[in-house]
Amino acid sequence: MLNLILKFVSCSRATGLRISTSEVLDCFNQLKLIDFLDEPQFAAVLRANFAKSRREQFFFNRLYDLFFHELRQEPNIAQSEPLSDQVRNILQSLASGQDDDGAFQAVLDFLGGDPLSFFEQMQPASAAGNQTGGGMSSNLGPMIQRLSLMLQINAAGDALADYLSAQRDHLPWEIRRDLKELFDARLASARRLLTKERRPFGGKTRKTVSYQQHLDRLGEIHFASLTVKEVEGMREVIEQLVRRLKDTLGRRYAVKNRGALDVKKTLRRSAGYQGIPVELFFRKRPPRKAKIVTLCDVSGSVWSAARFMLNMLYSLQECFTQVRSFVFVAGLDEVTNIFEDHEINRAIEKILKEADIEYNAATDYGLTFRQFKKNYMDILNKKTTLIIIGDGRSNYSNPEEQILDEMRERSRRVIWLNPETPYFWYSGDSEMRTYQACCHEVRPCQNLNQLLDFIKSLVL
Amino acid sequence: MNPEPSNGYTKEAGAMKFKSVEHVRAGLAKADYICSKTIATVVFLAQATQKPVLVEGPAGVGKTELSKAVARSLQRPLIRLQCYEGLDESKALYEWEYAKQLLYTQMVKGKIDDVISGADSLSAAVDRIASQEDAFFSERFIQPRPLLQAIIAPHPVVLLIDEVDKSDPEFEAFLLEVLSDFQISIPELGTRKAVNIPFVFLTSNDSRDMSDALKRRCIHLYIDYPERDLELEIVKLKIPQIKSRLAEQLIDTIRKIREMDLKKKPCISETLDWAQSLITLQVEDLSAEVVRDTLNVICKYRADVEKVKEKLEKLIN
Repeated sequence: MLNLILKFVSCSRATGLRISTSEVLDCFNQLKLIDFLDEPQFAAVLRANFAKSRREQFFFNRLYDLFFHELRQEPNIAQSEPLSDQVRNILQSLASGQDDDGAFQAVLDFLGGDPLSFFEQMQPASAAGNQTGGGMSSNLGPMIQRLSLMLQINAAGDALADYLSAQRDHLPWEIRRDLKELFDARLASARRLLTKERRPFGGKTRKTVSYQQHLDRLGEIHFASLTVKEVEGMREVIEQLVRRLKDTLGRRYAVKNRGALDVKKTLRRSAGYQGIPVELFFRKRPPRKAKIVTLCDVSGSVWSAARFMLNMLYSLQECFTQVRSFVFVAGLDEVTNIFEDHEINRAIEKILKEADIEYNAATDYGLTFRQFKKNYMDILNKKTTLIIIGDGRSNYSNPEEQILDEMRERSRRVIWLNPETPYFWYSGDSEMRTYQACCHEVRPCQNLNQLLDFIKSLVL
Repeated sequence: MNPEPSNGYTKEAGAMKFKSVEHVRAGLAKADYICSKTIATVVFLAQATQKPVLVEGPAGVGKTELSKAVARSLQRPLIRLQCYEGLDESKALYEWEYAKQLLYTQMVKGKIDDVISGADSLSAAVDRIASQEDAFFSERFIQPRPLLQAIIAPHPVVLLIDEVDKSDPEFEAFLLEVLSDFQISIPELGTRKAVNIPFVFLTSNDSRDMSDALKRRCIHLYIDYPERDLELEIVKLKIPQIKSRLAEQLIDTIRKIREMDLKKKPCISETLDWAQSLITLQVEDLSAEVVRDTLNVICKYRADVEKVKEKLEKLIN
């Protein structure tokens, strides 16, 4: 019993569960208290001690099944004794025939009912697979490792078949049949382990994980190449990100709110307690919130980046005192109202339909800036952060950079987000070089991760 | 400051214990909580080893209810600490009652004059008062919050620390001390050790992972959506007037809905709500139309409702 569980523990550790010694001790102590011949109870004790999160539970269940069901011959215990002798003999003779290759020996051990070394062989493969950082090259390593293990399994299968047919004269056919069934089942389960590995969340909680992968994947896709379905998915991702960001912010404000002691107020209140300052008052330090003005180029490819930024900004609205947004192609229109009256995603659709903009016109940044100067210049002040999203391609018209300069003078910060690849910024009709000089900051903004970095630096 | 002795919890009742896993199951069933063997085993072990239970699982599968049921069946009072972001020690442990202290100072002012009368110097007077200091920092002026309450309670209690994942990491670290030693240090009074080790439940909704240290000190229990038969039993127990045909239809439908990719899957409490509303509407037989009309009870998101409606025909038959 003791050995069995210790073996199970080392197998579990080999598959990556973290089990501490104290947990093993607890487990033994608890097993004393229950009727461990009753399997649900036995499993419950092991599970309660060894798998302490949903994720681990999945691995645990699989391992438990493998260890206590598949690899044991309980249904025919009476027969299993002679059979297991045979198994040992066969495996030994096979092992001596081979030069010592760790993987092959591991497979043989697995066939003999000891999965530990097989797991250890498998582990580096999947551990390397976990580093999802790089591109193709990092994927290949674990694949090759897996492949070689797979080959060893096949080799062991072949060797066994050869051995069995060679022993035709020495063994009665019933035993040969039983042995073959046993080995086939174990080989199959070894293969299954190898190929079906690493799917921690089948079914119910799949959503949470795939969210992470989803995010990783979506985060790197260029805005312009998102499919309609991905745009849908993006909203959910943004929602989650925004929620997390808000949490961080909330905690920060909670701490920051507490300023120095407000002596006056404390003393005034202490009068009620005979001059003893029972209740202390602190000066509240209101967090500095920025006012945001966005200017979005809504022509063609730029729009996709702009819509996501608007989505995020408006989701984070309480982090700013005010968000005012304008869209332009050639000529400018304020769309703040649309956002105030409608839910974010509806609003974004509405802008495309209703804003007073000539969507087919050639983009003209100069005209846009002139209109902004004429109508809205007074909304910029030292608390304002001006965010411009655009590729800076002004179709060779007057860039009017002196107006942007003036806008910069009036606002706290001017940030330009460019959804184009930096490589193309200064080519053709792009005025990026001109505009760059007038901005505090110019950032590429091609995918969700870059956008997120920007939003974080903006609110944190 | 002690749990009121008048609420019927006697010492004898507090000494009640589960004797075996089956006993747990029967006891919980008597307290209107039907559980699987896994749950019963964990509860039994937690009691036998005096370790806290960390209960995880989707919302609404009866995590909180489990601790209530244990309290009911052991006839122990339940002390509940609801965690939230920003929960600190003064809300969870104890607070000095400054106002009461001041009031007492006022009332015993004459006495203070007696104490310091005859002191030759100011420092002598201060010394005399200092020697009486204990009078003001005694248990009389302390307001125990849930954790301290659970520790100093003269009878064994069930302590429920609800939604521990919502609390800050600092608070979690602080819980570690309390949960491993069952003692609390109050600087002015010294260390208070638990009279009886409380039966502790921590619940978590997976909104963040708990630290390994905390997990190690607890027995972990994951409660999932129940098996069909178990859920059927629960519905019949909680809503006895339901007909078994309807109950079975109901459970089958709910289980099919759970298999769909929804934002929020219906849980046991929603099953019960639904059953209750079907009873109120005097429904005898579950038809697609009835489901459509009562869908709002099960699905709490509009998108989910739409999704279920689309597949309604498939669900019923």
